[in-house]
Amino acid sequence: MSGALAERAFAAKIEKMGFTDVWIGERIPYGVEQAALYPLFTPDLIELMRRLIPPDRLATVAMSVIATARKPTSE
Amino acid sequence: MPEDLLFQSEIKEVVRDAYAHIDAGAGRPAAQRLYSEDELAALPSGAVDWALGVGNPVRHAELKPGEIVLDVGCGAGLDSLLAARAVGSSGHVTGLDLLEEMCERGRTHAREAGVDAWTKFVQGEMEDIPLPDASVDVVISNGVINLSPRKSRVLAEIRRVLRPDGRLAVADLTVNDELPSELQTNDAAWAG
Repeated sequence: MSGALAERAFAAKIEKMGFTDVWIGERIPYGVEQAALYPLFTPDLIELMRRLIPPDRLATVAMSVIATARKPTSE
Repeated sequence: MPEDLLFQSEIKEVVRDAYAHIDAGAGRPAAQRLYSEDELAALPSGAVDWALGVGNPVRHAELKPGEIVLDVGCGAGLDSLLAARAVGSSGHVTGLDLLEEMCERGRTHAREAGVDAWTKFVQGEMEDIPLPDASVDVVISNGVINLSPRKSRVLAEIRRVLRPDGRLAVADLTVNDELPSELQTNDAAWAG
């Protein structure tokens, strides 16, 4: 999660790398409760998140998005 | 070095080590947030148990029979199997994962799903995809680009292997409000 980009930066990076028709959608919030389902989020990390992240952000620490794009027909 | 950065090599090692040491995925409760009951019912239970994705890229990939698909960071193969069902035996799916253990799980699940004849799993890095230029119709990926410290390189590699007019459908985590610095420097937070 620490390597995740902001949504706008993610879309911009896809465009910058030469893709077209970039679309971002289907946002799914990931809070601490959802993160705890994943074994990569260790109990210590979950505890740290609960301690460091403001209570009003605990339910939406991250957002999963779908990005679709196309490689141009001609270079 | 700013306190909110780790070296690229450190991040890579942290991610590899974290994934190598898990003995299960996020399981059915996490998968049910992302996939329909019909999609899950058609998959081996092991593939569902090993779900580690954060979205459903196949739903947005508009896959057609006969297409060539690459699943970048395939894990134990859940999305690769869904893609294999969509493209059918006239198509082909390659699952690429950093860990050979994940590839082996993917092969097992592909055999159980009956799609192994047109689905293969290859160990390799998303920053150096072991496929020829312009050899893929569609690239899918689920929750792994955020793990790379070289995201531009990953996207450049995806672009290289896609044929002209090829498509990309990626699910990934985004963080719009900066995380506390103590989290940004936490090893586990890079892998999670």
